[in-house]
Amino acid sequence: MASADDISSMFYDESEKLENLINNVTTKSELSLHEIIETYFQIMNVSSMAVILKQQLQADEHKILLDKIIDIERVISEKFNSSIHPQVLKKLTKSIQDSIKNLQSEDSEQKSKEDIENEAKLYEELRQKMSTKEFVEQYDKGLSHD
Amino acid sequence: MIEDIAKNLVHLKKEFTKIYDGKSQIQELIPVSKSDLFPIKQKDLELLHQFATKNPIYYNSYEKIIGRTLCIVYEGDINKYWLNSIQYDSSYQPFYPTWIMSAYVCVLLAKDLGYHEIIDIGSGDGRIAFCAKILDLESYSIEIDDMLVELQKLLTILDFHPHCSDAVAFDYFSLNLTHPIFFIGGLPQMGGTQLASGVMKKINSISDLKRNTGWVFTGTYSQKYQLDPKNEAGWGTLIEKNNLKSVQTLSLPTAWAFHEPEETPYIFTQTVSE
Repeated sequence: MASADDISSMFYDESEKLENLINNVTTKSELSLHEIIETYFQIMNVSSMAVILKQQLQADEHKILLDKIIDIERVISEKFNSSIHPQVLKKLTKSIQDSIKNLQSEDSEQKSKEDIENEAKLYEELRQKMSTKEFVEQYDKGLSHD
Repeated sequence: MIEDIAKNLVHLKKEFTKIYDGKSQIQELIPVSKSDLFPIKQKDLELLHQFATKNPIYYNSYEKIIGRTLCIVYEGDINKYWLNSIQYDSSYQPFYPTWIMSAYVCVLLAKDLGYHEIIDIGSGDGRIAFCAKILDLESYSIEIDDMLVELQKLLTILDFHPHCSDAVAFDYFSLNLTHPIFFIGGLPQMGGTQLASGVMKKINSISDLKRNTGWVFTGTYSQKYQLDPKNEAGWGTLIEKNNLKSVQTLSLPTAWAFHEPEETPYIFTQTVSE
């Protein structure tokens, strides 16, 4: 079983990873699907750890760690949930709409085998965007239940 | 014999997946000629090939010997139909076809079980209903997606009666069915249960039809989906709730399970006698 020090050290590492991801997200105008998923997973990971640690830690014995937890929860709430997350959802929705529009406007005349198979990659990208959006919407539902 | 054809088809598919190096979204094969492994009337095989060659979802085909069977491989793309289908709120599952040969084998069994009419619910391009006509059964094809129904109309080499309709609202009484079997074209976890329940409600309201009706459910053993506590490849709870019993299951290749180790189970059921 991991000791309190191990858990504490793990939380500091994971929080640092999250802060780096959030900083990366705020500096970029476009995020890849991989970056979106990685950031959301890290948010969920750190949030879950925070919940568990808060139940286990004593206010007087672990003040520094508890302050760190409160600090990172504030970053998640104020920086991510209120600002970054709505932007991600909005951009994904727009990107999906644009992809659908582009694919619908594709010429349906006779196409070569190569053309069809290249176009299929665009459909695959659209499916990946849609599934990422579903994932982000699940997170959003969780927020509305909080 | 039907089980043997199904097993031989699965074996052929497994051989095919080992050697297939194309990039098409969907692919399937049909043997060129009648053989020991596929003792199917030559005329029927030719009609299956006609259905594929006339079907605009396939953009390429070529001959290939797989195992010891000369086949024609058909390569296709259904993306534009998928794009259309995701815009229907009431559409239950995007179009992904079973193999034409699998549709034929399923209908062979339905005929062997004594059914007179095939009703293909969520019929896609209508291949199950088409195969029913090949085997001299009456057939009706019910599909909600107008783009797919237009596609079906291009394929009525034999008239399998394409209907553009929501299957849970369709007037089945008007078909004067006597001994029908319904194929439910949707996995239970992807709206299939809801679709099947809706159609059953309509059929059960027609006097005397319930006990003469068979149901074929498209199941899955994939771990991607939630298991049904009563099994039957995801259909167990619905089967029990509706007083049905499973009479036979055929595992057959489908487009969506091409890269999966397990084939798609088709569960044939009928009402338990009271």
